[in-house]
Amino acid sequence: MSGIKEHNVAISTTQRKSVHKSKSSDWTVRKPKMSKLSLKENIWGYIFIAPWIIGFLGLTLGPLLFSLVTSFTDYNVTSQMNFTGFDNYKRMFTVDPLFWTSLYNTVYFVVFSVPLTTAGAVIVAMLLNQKMKGIKVFRTIYYLPAVLSGVAVYFLWMQLLSPSTGLVNTVLAWFGIDGPAWLFEPEWTKPALVMMKMWSVGGGMLLYLAVMQGVPKAMYEAAELDGAGSIRKFFHITLPMITPIIFFDMVTSTIGAFQIFQEAYVMTDSGEGGPSNSLLFYNLHMWNNAFEIFNMGYASAMAWVLFIIVMILTFLHFKFSKKWVYYESGDHK
Amino acid sequence: MKKWLLIVCAGLLALLSACSSGSADNTNAEGKVELDFWTFWGSETRRPMIEKLIEDFNNSQDEIVVKHTYVPWGDIWTKNLAAIAAGDPPDVIVNDIRTVKIRASNNQVEDISKWVDDDLKNSFYPHLWDAVTYKDKAYALPFTTDTRMLFYNKDAFREAGLDPEKPPRTWKELKEYSDKLTVKNEDGGYKQVGYYPNWGNFTTHDWMINADDGKGLMEGGEPTINTPAKKEAIQWMYDWKQELGSEAVQNMKAEFGNEQQDPFISGKVAMWAEIGTFYKQLEEFGGDLDYGVATMPAYNEDTKPWSTGGGFVMEIPKGAKNPEASMKFIKYLTDVEAQTYWGENNFDNIANKEATKQITENLDGKGAEIFQKSMESLEYTYLSITPPEYPEYENLVNPLIDDALNGKISVEEALDQAQKDVENSKQ
Repeated sequence: MSGIKEHNVAISTTQRKSVHKSKSSDWTVRKPKMSKLSLKENIWGYIFIAPWIIGFLGLTLGPLLFSLVTSFTDYNVTSQMNFTGFDNYKRMFTVDPLFWTSLYNTVYFVVFSVPLTTAGAVIVAMLLNQKMKGIKVFRTIYYLPAVLSGVAVYFLWMQLLSPSTGLVNTVLAWFGIDGPAWLFEPEWTKPALVMMKMWSVGGGMLLYLAVMQGVPKAMYEAAELDGAGSIRKFFHITLPMITPIIFFDMVTSTIGAFQIFQEAYVMTDSGEGGPSNSLLFYNLHMWNNAFEIFNMGYASAMAWVLFIIVMILTFLHFKFSKKWVYYESGDHK
Repeated sequence: MKKWLLIVCAGLLALLSACSSGSADNTNAEGKVELDFWTFWGSETRRPMIEKLIEDFNNSQDEIVVKHTYVPWGDIWTKNLAAIAAGDPPDVIVNDIRTVKIRASNNQVEDISKWVDDDLKNSFYPHLWDAVTYKDKAYALPFTTDTRMLFYNKDAFREAGLDPEKPPRTWKELKEYSDKLTVKNEDGGYKQVGYYPNWGNFTTHDWMINADDGKGLMEGGEPTINTPAKKEAIQWMYDWKQELGSEAVQNMKAEFGNEQQDPFISGKVAMWAEIGTFYKQLEEFGGDLDYGVATMPAYNEDTKPWSTGGGFVMEIPKGAKNPEASMKFIKYLTDVEAQTYWGENNFDNIANKEATKQITENLDGKGAEIFQKSMESLEYTYLSITPPEYPEYENLVNPLIDDALNGKISVEEALDQAQKDVENSKQ
C-alpha cells in the first residue's frame, strides 16, 4: 500500500514540477537566480549521474593524469618515484632499439590491416546486398567469425597456420604452393596476423550492409535509365554514398590496429614477441616494460607517445576526409 | 522514495570504503597470528604437497596459522608488487631466485639478515646463497633449484648401433651421435632427429655459457656477451641448423606437443635436454620408453659439463605485518624435513644440502638414478642472475641471436650488437 501511495505522490510532484518549470522558463530572462526547487532537482540530477562521474574521475581521468606525471619519473610501482624530466622520452628515441622495432611492427600492421579489412568488408557487404534466395543464411555465416573472439580464435589460427599440418598450407599445397612457416618465420608473422584479421570482417560488413540498404533506390533507377552497368552503379552511387561509414570505419580501425596486443601476447612463445621480435608490437613492448621489469615510468611515457601518434593520425584522417567523404546533407559536417 | 535512495547511496559508499580498508590486524579470534602464503602451485601434483606442508606446520605449534593462497603463474609477481604498493602484501611468497637482487635493490622485499646465522646460511648450496644476498644482506631463503640434463632414448641408441650406457660427453660426440640417430622419411622429412641444440630446455644462452666454461652473459654485473667462445656456440648452432635445414627445424618445432605428444616421449627426438622434474612426465606418459640421463656434454675434453639452472626462494614482501612469524614459517619450509618431502615427491632439486643427502638415501630405482645425476650436474650448474642495472638484457639479446640463427646477420655482428645494446641500456 505504502509503495503505491509514494508512487502517486511522486507522480504528482513531477507534474507540479513540470508545471513549475514551464512557468519559470518564462521568467528566466528577468530572474536568473535558481529557485530552491530546481536547485534541488539539479542536486538530484548530479546524484543520479554520480556513478558515472565517480567512475570517470576515479577510473579514467585520475589514472590518465597519474600516468602523465609518472612518465616524467622513474616510478617502479613500489619504492621509487623520482622526477627525471624527459629522460624516459629521450631514452625511447635515442637508446632503446626495441622502441623502433615495436613501432615499425605496429605501423606495418596498421598499414596493411586497415585498408585490407576495410576493402574486404565493403566487398563482402556488396556481395551480401544482392537479392537472392537464402542470402540471410550467408549473412549469418559471414558474420559468425565476428561473434567468436579472443584467445579461442588465436588458438584456432595457430593450428590453421601450422607449417606442415595446418589447413592453410594444406590448401596451398593443392595448388602446388609450398607455404611458409607463418608464425615461425620472421617475414611471415605479420602477414599471418593480417590474414587472421581479414577473417573477421563480419563486424564492419554489418555496418556497410546497413548503410547500403539505405541508399535510395531512385538513384539506381535513374542510372539504369541512363544505361549504367552494375560496376558504374557501384563506383558512382554506392561507394560515394557509403563514404561516411568508410571514414568512420577507417578511423576506428586505425586506432584499434595501433592497440594490437593480445594476438602477439598469446600467439608467441611466452609472450616475448615472436621470432626475431617480428611480433613485438608497441603495446607488447610497453606491457613488458610495465609488468615484466616494472619500469612503469618508461611504459607511461610510451603510452603518451602512442597517444600523440594516434591523435595526429586521427587529425590527418579528418583533415583529408573533406576530399573524399560525401555527406548527403551537403554541409560537410 | 528519497529515503530509499539515500539508503542505497550511503550503502554503496559504505561498501566501497569497506573494500578499501585492509585488515590491519593479523591475529584471528583465537589469538593466533595468521599468515597469508602465496604460491603458484595449483596443479594436481603440487597443490596437495604444499598444502600438506602447511598443515604439518600449523599442527606443529599453536602460535601461527598459515593460509595458502593460490595465484596463477602469470599473475603472482605482478599482484605481489601491486599489493606491496598498496601496503597490504602477503606474508610469505614464493619467488624467482634470479631476481632477488632486483627486488632487494628496489626495496620490495624485507631484509631478513637479523634472523640468519652461519648455521642457517651453511645449510644451503653456496651459489644459491649468493643469489639471495644483496650488499651483504639476506633477503630470502632458497627453496628449490634445478639443473638441465640430457635425457636420451636407449632404444634409439641400440637401433643406431650406439652403446646405450655411453651418452655423449663432448660437443663432438654429441654431433656424431646425433648424425647416427637421425633418420629420414621417404618423403624427405625427418622420422627422428638425434639432437638439435635449440630445442628443449637448453638453448642459446645455455650453450653460450657451456662453451665459455661456465661464464654467463653477465659477469660481475656487467655484460660479457660477445666473447669468442659464445660466438662459437652460436655459430655451432647455426651450422647445425643449416645441416638439418631451417625449414625442417621450424616444421618439426611447430608439431611439438605435450604429454604423449612430447617430442622425446613420442620418439621424434632421440636426445633432449630437460630438468629433473621431466622424470614425472616420463613416468606418467612415457609408457615403457627405455631412457637414460646424463650431464650436458662439455665443450671439449678439457672443459666441464656446464649446465644452467634457476630456482625459487621464499621471501617476505616489503611491508608484511608479521615478519618474525613469516620467517619462522620460511625456516620450516627450507629445513631438512620439509625439503626432503618436497624433493622426494617432486624431483625438484632442493636447496638444503642435508635434505638432498637424505633423499639420495631414500630413493631407489629410476628416480634415484635421475636424482643422483642431477646432483652431479649441480656441481657445474650456472645460475643466471639478472643484475639490477640490466633488468631487460634478455629482451635485447634474444632477437639478435634469432637474427643470427636465421642467417639475417652474421654471428659476429649479432653478439657485438647485443653487447653494445645491453651496455647502452644500463639503468
